[in-house]
Amino acid sequence: MSKQKKSIIKSILSMKESGAAIPLVILAIVVACINRNFFGIFNLMDILRTASFYLMVAVPVTFLMSAGGMDLSLGAATSLGGVVCGTLLKAGVSIPVAILLALLTGIVVGLINGVCIVRFALPPFILTLGTQYCVNGIINVWTNGLSTTNFPNAYVKLGQYRVGGIIPMPIIYALVIALIGYVLLQHTKFGRKVLAIGGNQETARLAGINVIGVRISTYVCVSAMAALAGVIYGARFATVQPAIGTGTEMTIMASVIVGGTSMAGGVGTIIGTSIGCVLLAMITNVLIMLGVSAYWQSFVFGLILILSLFIDRYRQRLLKA
Amino acid sequence: MSDLVLEMKHVTKRFPGVTALKDVSISLRKGEVMAICGENGAGKSTLMRVLSGSYTYREYEGEIWINGQKQQFSGIHDAESCGIEMVYQELNMNLVGSVAENLYVGNLPGKGPFVNWKKLYADTSAVLRRISLDFIDPRTPAGMLNSGQLQLLAIMRAVIKKPKIMVLDEPTSSLSDNETAILFKLIRELKAEGVSIVFITHKLDEVYELSDRVTVMRDGEFISVDKISDVDENMLVERMVGRKIENQYPKVRAEIGEEVLRVEHLTVPHPSIKDRNIVEDISFTLHKGEILGLGGLVGAGRSESIGAVFGQITDGVSKKVYVRGKEVLIRRPGDAIHAGMGFLTEERRKSGLVPVFSICHNLTLCILDKLAGGKFIRAKAEMDTAKGVFDRLRIKAPSLHTQVINLSGGNQQKVILGKWLLDSPSILFMDEPTKGIDVGAKAEIYTIMCELAAQGVAIVLISSDMGELVSMSDRCLVISNGRITGELCGDEITQKNVMRAAIAD
Repeated sequence: MSKQKKSIIKSILSMKESGAAIPLVILAIVVACINRNFFGIFNLMDILRTASFYLMVAVPVTFLMSAGGMDLSLGAATSLGGVVCGTLLKAGVSIPVAILLALLTGIVVGLINGVCIVRFALPPFILTLGTQYCVNGIINVWTNGLSTTNFPNAYVKLGQYRVGGIIPMPIIYALVIALIGYVLLQHTKFGRKVLAIGGNQETARLAGINVIGVRISTYVCVSAMAALAGVIYGARFATVQPAIGTGTEMTIMASVIVGGTSMAGGVGTIIGTSIGCVLLAMITNVLIMLGVSAYWQSFVFGLILILSLFIDRYRQRLLKA
Repeated sequence: MSDLVLEMKHVTKRFPGVTALKDVSISLRKGEVMAICGENGAGKSTLMRVLSGSYTYREYEGEIWINGQKQQFSGIHDAESCGIEMVYQELNMNLVGSVAENLYVGNLPGKGPFVNWKKLYADTSAVLRRISLDFIDPRTPAGMLNSGQLQLLAIMRAVIKKPKIMVLDEPTSSLSDNETAILFKLIRELKAEGVSIVFITHKLDEVYELSDRVTVMRDGEFISVDKISDVDENMLVERMVGRKIENQYPKVRAEIGEEVLRVEHLTVPHPSIKDRNIVEDISFTLHKGEILGLGGLVGAGRSESIGAVFGQITDGVSKKVYVRGKEVLIRRPGDAIHAGMGFLTEERRKSGLVPVFSICHNLTLCILDKLAGGKFIRAKAEMDTAKGVFDRLRIKAPSLHTQVINLSGGNQQKVILGKWLLDSPSILFMDEPTKGIDVGAKAEIYTIMCELAAQGVAIVLISSDMGELVSMSDRCLVISNGRITGELCGDEITQKNVMRAAIAD
């Protein structure tokens, strides 16, 4: 009987998503006991909206990390997307065109990352740190560090409208993106190739898979989605701040790893990533609700990132046993 | 018998699953040169690693006696203090450091923390003069030297420690004729000074030129030791390969048809040595239903040849590949697969499997784009496809969803083979297909090979297992130093003939 129980516990623990799901449930129960307002519909929507902003980018990051890559410049790409869109709107460009051009700048950043890392075999960690600084530099030169505001109402609605007066638009976007991501990763040939490359690049190459093309495309997807997230951020706050995306790369990577995508590549889960995003958003929410200084947030996120590495490692051991 | 400087008695060394040395005893006299010969995996290098302290005395059974005293080495340092120096085949050089620093690494001259650079450079110059490399400045970074010069440098690094016993592991494999002459002169000088030298080699002419005695090893066992004047080359080769082949090969000769593959002027640059080719202008053909053996010593360039044909290796490769008489351009593995080729690589973990994937996902990797469903994967269709080959190869696993990492070596190899078979190749390259797998799985793989040949698949079999190579091949090419040194057909395919060609220059 106890043996059976043990094996149930072990099989839950060895599930990719458990690293995020278990803490999520525990945290929710504990916080709900402390504060009755936690499960209020607007607080929940607030948490989910924050999670949505993470998730929009975390979905392509799941592909990137499953293929063994990483990207520190996605926060800068987010800022860039917002700034490009905001500046163009101020200049009187129509909304679809502004969004399209923001997307395009994101694609360019992704191409630079991807081509340098994959074609020229440069280390992704340092290279994307470099592009992060370059992009932030360009943004600051361009905007002088100033925010842009007073946007057309239709644009602001993209971020602020609530479906049925309750569900914020970003949640809808994130759900659609997550759904597409889930199908793409689990049920398409492209997704299988991404996982194969992360699992063993040389095997994938010898099997005739276009390793270079697939890997570059994962970088492009991340930067493109990051730029779009910047566009939505601008709409949500009706303001484009030049540093809107700064620091999001760590939060997003933490939610992907906590969610069960392996740093070693070859294993990725969109469901886990979604749970991871909600967990991190909930932690932010709880810290604010408990009146913990905002300065502690970065400490807690750092701690979670480190913890998630240990969980990842434990899971890899289980795989090998 | 008082001139015995070294005796190794009843040395047995076990690795998990294999016994690398079985009760080997050898002895060495003062001032003698002893050659050790044998095939790949005969245990030569392992024996020398025991001697040099690379394995501590707890890791093997048996005894080492130096000058009549029993010694127990806990590390290389202990062996060095007994006057034993070993120069390995892989050179441990700091390529950005200077020649002088590499030569005197670990014992730079000077006081306290300060290096006496003047003395270091003067000493180095003297050493370089001894090996006729006095045109090299001691301050030159070692990376500027060619492989032969580095090998001589590595040998001198051992010589300046004034050893009593020196072990050289295939010292001439990277040397030019001129450098070999320099090395031989050095060895004769050392011998005259009373240094005893053990050298491992595949080149029999060197054995006759240099050594006083020759030891032959095979499959981890000591076979013979003779005065060089008592044995001829023929006897040595016979002893190196004189193994009985048991009837474990279910070889069935298939009907051999028209030419399916022709490779011309294949040249592949050496992966680590500048200005040297690991494969030097080789050409060969392959026919329908034929199993073409590719024999030779490890490092002769066999895997690299096939890797280059398949598009795994592309940098600096020149080649012409014809499939059924038509030239095909192969720039990447995808091109080779498109031309009907499959490649079972030697290293299962490194380039054969995706360890985190299930059996099913590994099996369908090469045919992903050919699976039904357009851009999507239909799980049912994929499973059905995988199930066919899973059953045909009798892969032993609980289900298709089992992760390949949990399988035995033999079953992993079957999964990789199945992956290629699903693509129905007309040309299949198999690099050491039975390495490290159990006897039962081996026999099954041989059976599958024969079945494939009967269906008209042309197979290239690279193997270091002599019995396998000789028994399974319809025709056999032997490569030595990147060149084809023998082409054997029918009854000519014997262990002896393969070995002769493999050690030819």
